[in-house]
Amino acid sequence: MKKFLSILLLGLLSLALYGCNDDTPTDRIEITFWHMSPVGSASFSDTRRIITEFNQSQDVYFVKGTGFSFWDYWDKIAVAISSRTAPDIGLSTIDDVPIRAEAGVLYNLSELIEADPDGIEIDQLYDSQLSFATYDGHLYALPFTATTRVLYYNLDMFTAAGLSADDVPTTWSELHTVAKQLDIVQGSSIQQLGFDPTYGNATYHGYLWQAGLDFFDEDLNPTLNTQGHIDVLQWMIDFNSEFTRSQLTAFGDANTMLGINPFAGERVAMMIEVDSLYQTIKEAGADFNFGVTSIPVPDDGGIRVNWGSGFSVEMYDNNKNTPDKKAGAWEFLKYLMSKDTQKDLSETNGWIMAHQGAMLEVAEGDAIMTRILEEVAYARDKVYVPYAPSWHGNDWQSYYNDALTGKKTAAQALADARANYLQKKANWEATR
Amino acid sequence: MGKTISIIKMRKQENLIGYLFASPWLFGLIVLGFFPILMSFYFSFTNYNMVSAPKIIWFENYRILLTNDNLFWKSLGNTLYHVVIAVPLGIFVGLFLAFLLNSKIKGISIYRTLFYLPNVVSVVAMTLLWMWLFQPNFGLINQLLKPLYELFKMEPLGWYLDQDLSKLTLILMGLWTAGGSMVIYLAQMQDIPITLYESADIDGASWFKKMIHITLPLMTPSIFFNFIMGLIGSFQVFTIAYIMTGGGPSRSTYYYAYYLFDKMMNDNAMGMASAMAWILLVIVLIVTVFALRLNKYVFYLGEDS
Repeated sequence: MKKFLSILLLGLLSLALYGCNDDTPTDRIEITFWHMSPVGSASFSDTRRIITEFNQSQDVYFVKGTGFSFWDYWDKIAVAISSRTAPDIGLSTIDDVPIRAEAGVLYNLSELIEADPDGIEIDQLYDSQLSFATYDGHLYALPFTATTRVLYYNLDMFTAAGLSADDVPTTWSELHTVAKQLDIVQGSSIQQLGFDPTYGNATYHGYLWQAGLDFFDEDLNPTLNTQGHIDVLQWMIDFNSEFTRSQLTAFGDANTMLGINPFAGERVAMMIEVDSLYQTIKEAGADFNFGVTSIPVPDDGGIRVNWGSGFSVEMYDNNKNTPDKKAGAWEFLKYLMSKDTQKDLSETNGWIMAHQGAMLEVAEGDAIMTRILEEVAYARDKVYVPYAPSWHGNDWQSYYNDALTGKKTAAQALADARANYLQKKANWEATR
Repeated sequence: MGKTISIIKMRKQENLIGYLFASPWLFGLIVLGFFPILMSFYFSFTNYNMVSAPKIIWFENYRILLTNDNLFWKSLGNTLYHVVIAVPLGIFVGLFLAFLLNSKIKGISIYRTLFYLPNVVSVVAMTLLWMWLFQPNFGLINQLLKPLYELFKMEPLGWYLDQDLSKLTLILMGLWTAGGSMVIYLAQMQDIPITLYESADIDGASWFKKMIHITLPLMTPSIFFNFIMGLIGSFQVFTIAYIMTGGGPSRSTYYYAYYLFDKMMNDNAMGMASAMAWILLVIVLIVTVFALRLNKYVFYLGEDS
């Protein structure tokens, strides 16, 4: 029995060891790459195929890809970077590249591009995204994907209300007029809503940008205390003033718990949402007619802008990488950023990739996708605020909520939010 | 003589084997437990954003938290509210259930299992389930209460979406797992010698008298145990708020542990978060030391008093 057990143990051990073994050819330099397509995800096999194609294309380097789910990825990469065990090449968020560049954990890509000018088609990438990847005049990351926000509109609802695609609003006042024609109310309950500025993926800072305002000034001091800021927030609060806030929240939330977006659920005629909603609606096989357009802007001097973000692709400097590994990671980075691979990645993941030429080919013959791509050029990423990295999220949400529910006036909520940012800033500076 | 040596030798060998068997656990305790605790103590005196190297700033984190951070006090206040209501209420409901289930009716073990069952469910699943139940617009609880709302002509309660009710909603939901403490109460209840009840019966004591003078005093050890454990656990309340309310509405369920988590995850301020953890430890220690003073009111059966 003892003997049997030890044989069994030995067998299990060797199996486990075999499992750890990967098929890196010993004569090649191994490059590690972290992505977000883990085993079992829909995009896993295509991602692996893309990596394998690179490995087959040459015989010096061998890329070993490791996938983590989107939800786990951020913790894993953050821990790996801080413990100096980051992969040679990986994905991250583009808006906080400077913090990593400053810490010296990223390779300066400008140097590599200078030495190998044909390696990357920089002119195919969006300037706004490149500026976010720049620190101290040098590129420390490249934009990998892009996101954008657009106004989705339900054409069937337009038709039912006697409107057409020509009536799709372009300004805030048009938006209000059209939205009211699309509201359907029975008794006191909302059956269909034209538009609500708080629904979907619309944000206060997005509207501020359109009005030529911002959360912070150039020195990252919170602004928020001007009449302009108050007016924009008030506009959001008052847009559907004939309904109570709890009515509006209830109507918007009713589908959300089921995981259905109110626009996709055909309850809202117009909504601001991210580009991926298009993919979601398509995959769900929705049978209603819809279109997308630019988010309407303020009537006087409104600016065409939307909040967009994206993943960055970065080469990590763990302070112990050999020049060979760095060169290998650069080779793979060039491959990832090439037009063909970018196109492939877009078709695999449904992402908008950073390479404009590749995306034009992906969107060919798809009117909605083409229209969405047009908006990417007007996308602006949120600024990275070191003392409040989550300024648009957690730090702002409770004040925003107080203003919407009427617990505080718009002016009061903004003043309180500003005070909070100022306190965070003072505390952050004290610990520098 | 030879025999003595071999016994000593055997003892040593036995010790060695003992340590060998305990080694995985010891390894875990030291490497995964003790080391992070020490590191967090060190981090609490630094400014550490988890990317750059930690920079020592001594007591700055503590000073900021205690003197210039509104959210620190707000989250601590929320947590104290939770502790003060949830702990006694949990004890009361656990005891109540134990009294109910300490009878000899048919199928009692099924009832006991049913009340214990929620403890087997993961907190995340439980919270998601109660989110549906408490959902103000189509949740089952508001549907059941509809006649009452109509009777009193009031607006349906907003539960976790109403900032005045959100903390209470989370506490109410937490009572669902009172079955965990109930099991401990039940065990102790059944440990009480039947002779005490028999002599009380002979003296003509009522059910209520027996409960007040026999059952409850003899249950103080388990009540005390659950009280201390509940106290420590409640100070760390996090998961239910994270899933159900996201700390909202308007930070009404923004508990201490939640703020600590945000300091680390959202503000990248590992040093500040570590300082918060140590402040919480001190708070819990002080409260527990005071709570332990209640020990003199605890009656341990079989001990000379």
